[in-house]
Amino acid sequence: MGQFLFSVFACLTVVCAAGVVVCKNVVNAAMCLLLSLLGVAALFVRLDAFLLAFLLLLVYAGAVVALFLFIIMLLDTRGQQAPQARRGLTVAPRIAAAALVVAGLASLFVKGRLATPAVGTVPALGASLKLHAYLLFTTYLLPVEIISFLLLIAMLGVIVLSKREGEHSGYGN
Amino acid sequence: MDLSLLQHLAAGNTWGAIRPELALGCLALGLLVLDLLFPKRAGGLVACVSLAGQLAVLADVLCHFHSVWLNQDTFNGLLHPSLAGQAMRVFLLLSSILVVLLARVTLAKHPAPRIEFYHIVLVVTAALMLLVQSNHFVMLFLALETVTVGFYILVSYFRTSTASLEAGLKYLILGALSSALLLFGIAILYGVAGNPFLPGHSADAMRYAELAQFLTLNPHNFLASVGIVLVLAGVAFKVGAFPFQIWIPDVYQGAPTPVTAFLAVASKGAGFAVLLGLVLRAFPSYGWLVTPVITAMAVATILFGNLAALTQHNVKRLIGLSGVSHAGFLLLGVAAAPYAPLAVGAIYFYLLAYLIASFTVFGVMAHLAGPEDSDQELEHYAGLAKDHPFLGAVLAIGLGSLAGIPPLAGFMGKFFVFVAAYQAGMHGALVVAIAGVVVSIYYYFGWIKAAYFEAWKAPAAGSVPVPTPVGKLFGLVLGVLALGSIVLGFYPGPLGHWLQW
Repeated sequence: MGQFLFSVFACLTVVCAAGVVVCKNVVNAAMCLLLSLLGVAALFVRLDAFLLAFLLLLVYAGAVVALFLFIIMLLDTRGQQAPQARRGLTVAPRIAAAALVVAGLASLFVKGRLATPAVGTVPALGASLKLHAYLLFTTYLLPVEIISFLLLIAMLGVIVLSKREGEHSGYGN
Repeated sequence: MDLSLLQHLAAGNTWGAIRPELALGCLALGLLVLDLLFPKRAGGLVACVSLAGQLAVLADVLCHFHSVWLNQDTFNGLLHPSLAGQAMRVFLLLSSILVVLLARVTLAKHPAPRIEFYHIVLVVTAALMLLVQSNHFVMLFLALETVTVGFYILVSYFRTSTASLEAGLKYLILGALSSALLLFGIAILYGVAGNPFLPGHSADAMRYAELAQFLTLNPHNFLASVGIVLVLAGVAFKVGAFPFQIWIPDVYQGAPTPVTAFLAVASKGAGFAVLLGLVLRAFPSYGWLVTPVITAMAVATILFGNLAALTQHNVKRLIGLSGVSHAGFLLLGVAAAPYAPLAVGAIYFYLLAYLIASFTVFGVMAHLAGPEDSDQELEHYAGLAKDHPFLGAVLAIGLGSLAGIPPLAGFMGKFFVFVAAYQAGMHGALVVAIAGVVVSIYYYFGWIKAAYFEAWKAPAAGSVPVPTPVGKLFGLVLGVLALGSIVLGFYPGPLGHWLQW
């Protein structure tokens, strides 16, 4: 059963990842990305990495891809021909991508299976949400505080850069 | 929940050790409150409050220079306060104070909001101060990202100017790329050092000390080498070293003058402090890789910066590209640091001399800039020494120090770095560096020539922006900076001694 589920989700991930590259329609490509991320999240669940799986779903599938779709809809690229790139430019990345896939498969065949560590040699760490939360509020409290300042200046920056002329209160002079 | 463990961990958060950063953060929040309470008068008040607050923080750092937390890990090993970190705190506070002074001159000519500018400068300074003390990759990355996000906003701050917006966009895209490189490198290092099949593997390889231990036990690991090169590339992007210098000219030209100064001095200085920390504390056993990479980068950076600066007519581009060559000289010092004990002190001395000279020049530039901040050409300086003898003299001293003319501080800085490189046996790179210095004299003197000897070239009145009259406070600051260049050049003694670590 476990092997079967792994195969299903691995296929979903790989096929959808290929779909992101192959799809001509950008909306379809974005949806493929979403499905591919779902597959990866499912694989993480199978590894008992629940936190990672939910972060992937919430942050990437939920926020980032939704933002992509939002921008695609906003730009409304329907009915427009994608600009033809120069021939040399498209060939080079294709060769590079193909070479990477071949190298990956070759390494798998040459080296065989990944070595599996004996049970107990790998410390069971950081899988639980509780431990993560605990660390965030103890050891990593300072970075969390820094992030709050990062978000504050990012918010201020958006307001400063997007406010219409003449609405500023602090102009001076 | 085990309460004693909680108490133990909470005790690790030694907030007293980052008092200056906390004070800057509170000051930044205070500025926003000030704007909320007095929306009408806050515009003028805010610069003074921010200036006074930063001077108080600077006084605090100087009074407690040998603080009790020195050389011990604070915040459970996230930070490592050291004498070098204290020196960088002073350096960064000095530069942010000078940036606020410059901003008062430049913002007066532009209809841009005030409070937010000073607020972001304060937050960025606090993040830079944490960055230079970081002892952990999580801390390093977060502090660096806070700095970078702050700079995205500051660079495109004059959003009515296309040059500023273009600079902001370029900085955003290339900054994101460099952050990605850095993060990728960190992830590879963390992954490889967590591999349970390798000796010395660690569950917390983000810590410099644990990573260094792992790297010592695995001296020629391929993946670790890739990670190290990617991390170095990410930091090289921030300091503008070849081949990651492409963003410099456009961003320096488009950014408002105070932001250009902030980028050129504070961001670059902090980048070198981080680089030194990485080379000396995190990757000491990978000298076989780090030294040739940084030396090659230094040589290429010196050559590119100096040759590209030769043909510039816009002074902001010129100072940007000459800043690239300064980054090259500093990289030479970083490459020499593991082998020559003088190098670390030499780098900090160089940075201080560079701060003083750069802000002298930027101070003059801020006064000469017209309503379009990116349009500052060499021709605008024609006849400056005749019409404004004070500005002309200060400019000549600042440029002379940047060029490394003997009695000035810039010369001593270069001299110390070159001696360190000589001690480390980097003779070939030294020859290139000296050739670079000779080339740099040409374009710096082209600028001085424009100010002093081309009065006949001065275009008709009205075609060139009229310099803002120099205020009393700013005149005093410019005078002190120029004097500092001279005094440090003749008598580097106390500082040179001070920086012998």
